[in-house]
Amino acid sequence: MSLRNTLLLFFAVWFVGISLLQARLNPESIRGLGDYLRSFRKTTGVSTDQFKIGFLPVTCHLTCPVTDFINTQTTGEGLFEPVRFNSWPELKEAYLAGHTPATFILAPMAIALREQGVKIKIVYLGHRDGSAVMVHKDSQIYRMEDLRGKRVAVPNRFSNQRLLFFRACRNAGMTIDEIQLVEMPPPDMPAALYSKSVDAICSGEPFMGQTELDGYGRVLWLTKDVWPNFISCVLAVREDVIETRRADVQALVDGIAKSGKWLDKSMENRMSAAQFVSKNYYMQDPRLLSHVLSKPPDRVKYTRLSPLKPDFEEIEALGVESGILQGTARFEDYVDPSFAETATNKVEAWNFAGPKP
Amino acid sequence: MSAATSEPPIKKQDDDAPPERRRDPHAWLALALPLTVAGLFLLGWDAAVRVSASEVFPRPLDVVRGIRELAEKGLLLKYIVASLFRVTWGFGLAVLIGVPFGLFLGWFGRAYQAFNPMIQIFRPISPIAWIPVAILWFGITDIAPIFLIFLASVFPITVSASAAVQNMQPVYLRAAQNFGLSRLDLFRRVILPSCLPQIITGLRIALGIAWLVVVAAEMIAVNSGLGYLIIDARNAGKRYDLVVAGMIMIGLIGLVLDLLVRRLATFDEVRWGYANRQ
Repeated sequence: MSLRNTLLLFFAVWFVGISLLQARLNPESIRGLGDYLRSFRKTTGVSTDQFKIGFLPVTCHLTCPVTDFINTQTTGEGLFEPVRFNSWPELKEAYLAGHTPATFILAPMAIALREQGVKIKIVYLGHRDGSAVMVHKDSQIYRMEDLRGKRVAVPNRFSNQRLLFFRACRNAGMTIDEIQLVEMPPPDMPAALYSKSVDAICSGEPFMGQTELDGYGRVLWLTKDVWPNFISCVLAVREDVIETRRADVQALVDGIAKSGKWLDKSMENRMSAAQFVSKNYYMQDPRLLSHVLSKPPDRVKYTRLSPLKPDFEEIEALGVESGILQGTARFEDYVDPSFAETATNKVEAWNFAGPKP
Repeated sequence: MSAATSEPPIKKQDDDAPPERRRDPHAWLALALPLTVAGLFLLGWDAAVRVSASEVFPRPLDVVRGIRELAEKGLLLKYIVASLFRVTWGFGLAVLIGVPFGLFLGWFGRAYQAFNPMIQIFRPISPIAWIPVAILWFGITDIAPIFLIFLASVFPITVSASAAVQNMQPVYLRAAQNFGLSRLDLFRRVILPSCLPQIITGLRIALGIAWLVVVAAEMIAVNSGLGYLIIDARNAGKRYDLVVAGMIMIGLIGLVLDLLVRRLATFDEVRWGYANRQ
């Protein structure tokens, strides 16, 4: 056969074949293309599509997959569509571009976005506590003061974990210049601590618990020891979506609140969540989530998740001190507490005993 | 200098008869040598992990077990297909646009002057830098990674196609003019065939690049693909066996893709363009 005929035949077969295989093995990919093309036709009216909600595979966002799973199990369909990201910048960009009307996001990042003019409203918290500072088990670091001159990894300049060190330094009578903070994506932190390229690491779970499970990490302190009721991630919604789809946002916050109460109701619920979230959403070893959700049980908490003014004022102050915030946005600008008030008062934990076999 | 003087394949050559091949007594070496190098590499890797007593980095057997686990869960095929799908469409679109545009630029000097600086500005920008733009325009659909792969491969293809026309031997054109070929025939029967070998070389390099950026392209919120496997495994606690499994699958498929493109060079339409050193 000539080159031209061979090529035409080969490419025709290849394009059709690989596309059909993709449609069969990854149907969501083709559905996504359809959604994208349809989005051009939409001209007027309020969208009634399912909410897409951005989240990362960390315990700070655990209520997102828990709510989705329980809803799907009990009603047959999800309340919203959880979209898993792998890092903060992509999650934030998808939100800014309007592809995810709601997202779990770092609290200081949400405030900073508001200062930069983004119409963002915090409607609920993701969790309380749930971070740790880990050091290598062979190291001679036993107190905050021992971190003087050491390299400490934090997830992002907008992460509350970085602010945590500002507060911890103040508590210990140190200045922030005495420790060397470096930014590092949390998934890379365990390997960095193992190879001793940093002296301490701090991020949300389960990356900290992983170093304990693998036998080379030791807890220097948990957030609850330094900053009780620490907040790192919040649920944020676009302001225009709040205006046009109040009922949907309320249903979303109610669902998240129910999941939080359900998680804190019993250890059985937490262990059940560790299994189904690890297998269906986080693709992690369930031992990891089981560990961080139980040892100790108050390592991370999912109740008392209404956004409160004093908490955020403290974050604002530390944010200004650390140079990531200007201090121009007020609590009233970036928080809409009305959904949380309704959810906290009327919502009970899910009545859910575990996944169907 | 047989390559330079042999005529471009203006008319279809009919040599369907199988060529007489002299059996090479050392043909087995072609397989044995690379396998030996690969085997030594694996042994060295295994020894390095054992000597350093690393608890984080996996040994080759761990990786094999990781690949088997993926295959048993049905994820291996799913991920390979997802990555190949994205590269197929991204690279395919880059060929469809890059080759004609490159030929156009190569033929019309003024167009080349106008567009070339812009192409050279865009060419060195890593696809990772384009991720925000891709998310902004295409959201969290498969179009975003396809767009990134397209961007990474379209510029090398355009550049090689335009260079192919610019480097064409003037003697072909003069001969064609003597025969009084029309413009369409000139393009179809002289320019395209004479540029084909260089274009194919460009495609081969561009396909390598397209496959190379699959990891970066799948950093966007897609939930399948070999690049996603690597990023996902980093999120999954101590699963560096899966990270390395993803690397190895990308490498092996890259090898197969390169072998396929190299087969193109064995067709007469292309082979004349390569000087044979035996």
